[in-house]
Amino acid sequence: MRSGRMPASSAATIPALGPFEAALAEMATPLLLLDAGGTVTFANDHAAILFAGAVTVGSSLATLLAAPEVGTDRGAERLGRSALTEALTARRPTRERLALEGGRLVEAALAPLSTGGFALTFDDVTEHLRSAALARLEPLTGLCNRVELHDRLSAAVAAAEEAGAPLAVLMLDLDRFKAVNDTLGHPVGDALLRKVAERLRNAARRDDVIARLGGDEFAILQVGQVGADQPLAAEALANRLVDLVGRTYVLDGQMLNVGVSVGIALFPDDGRLPDDLLKHADLALYRAKADGRGTYRFFEPAMNAAVQARRSLEIDLRRALALKQFTLVFQPQIRLETGEVSGFEALLRWHHPERGLISPATFIPLAEEIGVIVGIGEWALRTACREAARWAQPASIAVNLSPIQFRGGKLVETVTLVLAQTGLDPARLELEITEGALLDDTDGVLTVLNGLRHLGVRISMDDFGTGYSSLSYLQKFPFDKIKIDQSFVRGMAGSAECGAIVRAIARLGASLGMRTTAEGVETADQLDAIRAEGCTEVQGYLTGRPMPASEAFALLGAGAHVSDPPVSDVVPAEALVPAA
Amino acid sequence: MTDDLRRLVYYSRNRTSGASGGMDGTIRSILAASRVNNARVGVTGALMFNAGCFAQVLEGPSAAVEATFERIQQDERHGEVSLLAYDAVEARLFTEWSMAYVGASKADADRYGDVADASGFDLSRMTGDRLCAVLHRLALEEEAAAA
Repeated sequence: MRSGRMPASSAATIPALGPFEAALAEMATPLLLLDAGGTVTFANDHAAILFAGAVTVGSSLATLLAAPEVGTDRGAERLGRSALTEALTARRPTRERLALEGGRLVEAALAPLSTGGFALTFDDVTEHLRSAALARLEPLTGLCNRVELHDRLSAAVAAAEEAGAPLAVLMLDLDRFKAVNDTLGHPVGDALLRKVAERLRNAARRDDVIARLGGDEFAILQVGQVGADQPLAAEALANRLVDLVGRTYVLDGQMLNVGVSVGIALFPDDGRLPDDLLKHADLALYRAKADGRGTYRFFEPAMNAAVQARRSLEIDLRRALALKQFTLVFQPQIRLETGEVSGFEALLRWHHPERGLISPATFIPLAEEIGVIVGIGEWALRTACREAARWAQPASIAVNLSPIQFRGGKLVETVTLVLAQTGLDPARLELEITEGALLDDTDGVLTVLNGLRHLGVRISMDDFGTGYSSLSYLQKFPFDKIKIDQSFVRGMAGSAECGAIVRAIARLGASLGMRTTAEGVETADQLDAIRAEGCTEVQGYLTGRPMPASEAFALLGAGAHVSDPPVSDVVPAEALVPAA
Repeated sequence: MTDDLRRLVYYSRNRTSGASGGMDGTIRSILAASRVNNARVGVTGALMFNAGCFAQVLEGPSAAVEATFERIQQDERHGEVSLLAYDAVEARLFTEWSMAYVGASKADADRYGDVADASGFDLSRMTGDRLCAVLHRLALEEEAAAA
């Protein structure tokens, strides 16, 4: 191999290169050839450009690395430089990243040659590293992204294991951010997130790692010296975050308010693994939100227990239908005018072999959350319709629908199928919905309701008076019946307001052509009051507790007029309440 | 641009701790920094301070007012910041000075203490505009006294 070739600047003066020499001299990869002692014997054109003429034949590798414009990327200069020189001494290949003047980063590869010398090549990795760094940033706020957080957490945990120092993981979730986004639009929401990020930076220390995990979720990794004072440091930071982030923002000419909830997990007390710390901080965050938001909570093992308990209930709930653990009970509805049983409401019961009777208030929300309500709801509908089809009289059967059942677009099909299978007259079926069903996607739900109505099925508005009680819903869909929430009926004795509300709803129903059912009637006084206010039906313990299918069947078989004489004189409680 | 002129009024609990000497030093440094920063971006206003609270009016272009207020919101020394008003206005109330500090003198401190005690001085009960008027009057008095 030809040696003694001059640096690129004078390459043009060398005549008549062979094809191999020309290839080496002109190839795109910067190349230096070194002799066994590390002295440069050849530098190609791109190597000369890379080192801006500072490399000449005859200079040593040590000199090259010592040049002020060359440094190792990681600041561990002496270590890094010795990596190349050590490899040279040991005659083995190595790679090392170098930082050149002007911010360019190159990866140097040293390869021993069979001739006794070395080839030293350089890859410019500046762009590659820059885009890799960008890939670790969340573009809107410039904070770390989830990937970077995981990496930094793993590194921090490893360092903490070694030093025995605690560290804290804080999970953050903004309160009321969705409302800002929904009402003022995404550009304002994004601008707000940037301001929140700024406040997080301001509240945290420089060493802390701040990440946006997506949406309005953030995380802060509290590392460094401050770690020694845990949990005090984490508590102080959480206090600062709740205070600073919760302060009013002025943005785009408007005043905005959001809050932040914070969950904290500490290393090593709450976990030694990154994933455990993140999970536990999340559980603590969940608790902070449940405890009213705008606050922080430290992780406690009991939170894990609560989650485990919920998980265990979830597992049981998922198989409850298959194990036939559900039953329906039937509560009579009485027409006030005649005292007749006009129909029954089917109510779901879950009998768990070990847990016993589980309240619908416990399992329905869970069933809705995990989606199994669709299957359970369909079972309840089919069972109720089949039962009602057996009755001696054409009394109505009311079945509750969950808002979740309206999603997926199969409800009308399901009801059609059930009616066909059971042979129940559609006019006898009353489907009860709450306002919750109409909150999201009102138009879509109204379409489904109209589809159901088209089948000949009746639709009731359940629990009216609680929640939003939006009159616009009554206007948007002609409900057959409004069911007045039992809280008003119970309150009538002590509160004039409750009486006024019952009266108002009853009159509203009358003028809209909708029947009104008062729920939760327990005393004769309440019944008289309900009657006076003009409700058309009642349902409650006084006029009949929920009963097994067989008793409902027997009750209707016994005769239509369960309360003859009229209820105003004798309340048929004895007839309807089964002996305990 | 006059159509972008906005007035922001807020008050906050004073969290500077310790003796009144330290408090005074803190306030002076805040004030000095505010005068420099705010003059540069075209924000004028008035700062009222007593042992219990800061009350401040900021006037200027919306972007500058928003940036200035955001800086205040990130200052831990301002606790429980209550934004009383943020409105578009026709003209500035505080045109001549970048900031005016009200309550520097011992006499003033005593006076405002009296007002607070005797009148049940409660900033939260004031509307933004009335607070503004109060701040304005106090600032002018201070100017006159200093002249």
